[in-house]
Amino acid sequence: MGARIRRFHRRHRLMLFAYTALLPVLALFTYVRIVPISYGVYLSFFNWNLLKPRKPFVGFDNYLQLFDDENFILALKNTTLYSFSVVILSTLIALPLALFLSRRGRMSPVYQTIYFLPVITPLVPVSIAWKWIYDYNYGALNYLLSLVGLPSIAWLTDPAIALWALVVLGIWKVLGYNMVLFLVGLRNIPSMYLEAASLDGANAWQRFWRVTLPLLRPILLFVLVTSTINAYNVFTQVYVMTLGSQSAPGQPVRMLVFDIYTNGFQFFRMGYASAEAVMLTLIVLGLTLIQFTIARNDPAREA
Amino acid sequence: MSRPHDLSRPYLSRRAALTLAGGAALAAGTGRAAKADATLAVWTGYPELVPWYKAMAEAYAKTNPGIAVTVFSTSLREHEQKLAAALPTGTGPDLFDVGQILSITLIEAGLIKPNPSAIDKQLQSAAYRPVSVQQFTTEGKTYGLPLMFSTPAMFWNKTMFRDAGLSGPPEDFQTKMEYAKKLVKLDASGKMIRSGMSLRLSGQGSGITEKFRFILEPAGGSIITKTASGKWHQSYDNQAGRDTLKYYVDAVQVYKVDDPKVQHDADAFVAGNTAMLMREAWVIGEIQKKNPTLEFGVAPIPAWKPGMPKKTLLQHNGLYVSGKSKNSDAAYAFMQFLTNPANSVALTQMTGWVAARADVDWAPLIQKIPQYETFVNPPKDMQFFLEPVMGAWNEIQTKAADQLPGAYIDPAMQDPAKAAAFISKLAGQTDTILKQNDLFGTN
Repeated sequence: MGARIRRFHRRHRLMLFAYTALLPVLALFTYVRIVPISYGVYLSFFNWNLLKPRKPFVGFDNYLQLFDDENFILALKNTTLYSFSVVILSTLIALPLALFLSRRGRMSPVYQTIYFLPVITPLVPVSIAWKWIYDYNYGALNYLLSLVGLPSIAWLTDPAIALWALVVLGIWKVLGYNMVLFLVGLRNIPSMYLEAASLDGANAWQRFWRVTLPLLRPILLFVLVTSTINAYNVFTQVYVMTLGSQSAPGQPVRMLVFDIYTNGFQFFRMGYASAEAVMLTLIVLGLTLIQFTIARNDPAREA
Repeated sequence: MSRPHDLSRPYLSRRAALTLAGGAALAAGTGRAAKADATLAVWTGYPELVPWYKAMAEAYAKTNPGIAVTVFSTSLREHEQKLAAALPTGTGPDLFDVGQILSITLIEAGLIKPNPSAIDKQLQSAAYRPVSVQQFTTEGKTYGLPLMFSTPAMFWNKTMFRDAGLSGPPEDFQTKMEYAKKLVKLDASGKMIRSGMSLRLSGQGSGITEKFRFILEPAGGSIITKTASGKWHQSYDNQAGRDTLKYYVDAVQVYKVDDPKVQHDADAFVAGNTAMLMREAWVIGEIQKKNPTLEFGVAPIPAWKPGMPKKTLLQHNGLYVSGKSKNSDAAYAFMQFLTNPANSVALTQMTGWVAARADVDWAPLIQKIPQYETFVNPPKDMQFFLEPVMGAWNEIQTKAADQLPGAYIDPAMQDPAKAAAFISKLAGQTDTILKQNDLFGTN
């Protein structure tokens, strides 16, 4: 009995210590994350103009208005198309790349560094550089096409292509990050499983499909979730690439965060922009839950 | 037209500007008594104005040693956003320049206070045109001072015109299209390498609609029109609106004198990649910096058809003191200094922007750079259309701009019925925005 009480007190003290130690971080998190998000939700119920003193309560009007707003619907469609393309394609490219680089070759670290460089390069200069690369008249991409006798393509100014130009940039930017995550996952798979599969006569494809991929599922889930969240928040490259007269037309590359920014900071309609932001949060949250459900690693089922 | 000034040399050196401004400071006796030992924060949305502001600050400090000035500049779009976020919290500048798209919203929000009597007196004097006074007056009170005009004219490349056998700039838009057909240049593969005229065809933002207006207004339409009761409604779901869209569609799709793929705007004109461009006076400064040997002329924006009036936009950019400035007296005094006649001339000479004062002797400048003539002494019969002074104007222009570039290149727009339906839908959107802002009315 006495030992149990001592154990209880010890555990209690340990928890108290843990929470006390966490308190500054939790307070900071609350201040920089929870409070602004909650305030954003609060604003979404008001006709909150940044500059007008009168900010009347409008209930769900902002949300209802969203469904009639062509720009919002278009932005939602474009963002979804962009996100699915970037997430799926970057995953499909990053995984085989990681498999290839997981072999401990001499040049492997060099290639890993090269692929990871875009991840750590700030997005604004990257977007400006890509705007030059995509330039119809002087861009590197059209120069390369001309070397093999192909006609120039209006990567940015053709409405049918502009979104895909952003997708390519998005994949290029995120590829290294996903590859490194897969690489970590692959290196953590005990080699005995693959050896056992080989002894059982499994070929390379069967080893990948039956052993590697199932064991990589938590990493795959993490990659899908983080890539989806990042892709839905695409903004900087859209902002840069639609800037100026020689840039992408606004509508074909209109994305949700850009629409939020326009309503909030150009038209000062903070209440409406907040409603859009809440919708974006709900969409990303919903997609994350779906991904968790589909890719959940259930050890019992695996057994 | 006389031989232009050698544009390879700066037309006003920094030293000369300082001397000029310093003299003006002494002559003016600094006007109002400025508060001692204040640091004025000046924000501008025009980075090319920074050297002028700094030269003015240095000159001002000579007679007002207690006043220091810091100048901060960003792109115009970011400048407007920073002002909107900073002014309500009192963390903004003491003095700032901004177009009327934003200033009216700031005035309505009480973030800019009515002018003190000295500034009001300056504005109401003969120093400014009546239209400027009217634009800076809201409900009987004046706010801020006009700093400069943003008025477009037509830049034309003399060499290209000469090579095409054209003697001078077109007088109407139909002739302009004919000239553009002669001026456009294709390579052996049929790819456009020089546009006959540079229209605004891509990107996003209110500037696209603003350029649409450059043709719409001479054609007899307007984006919005004010009624007798002070309300507004769209005014381009009509023949003028349809004609303007057709002009763009013809230029891009039918006559192929412009193409979204080629270089555009001032960069294209400066680089010799377009023959004609409708833009403001600051392009002269760009040419001076980047291609001083370019042979070019500046003509008024053409009329829509022979016999119709020539029209151009008269857009004011103003100087304002923040309603929350702790140095408002010093800021108003510096504002007066910035807008005195000598410093107004220096503004145009150093930046290319045309100062808003009407009582300025432009003769020396025009003698040096004749291309300024159209901007500072527009033809007597030129009609001006203004920027509607209302908070929703930015949203109206920006949302129309979202749709226009797609229409310019859409082959369906060659069908008059489909083009009319597009214009009608766009105009409906304009009225909806007016209704949402309680500004819509037809009487």
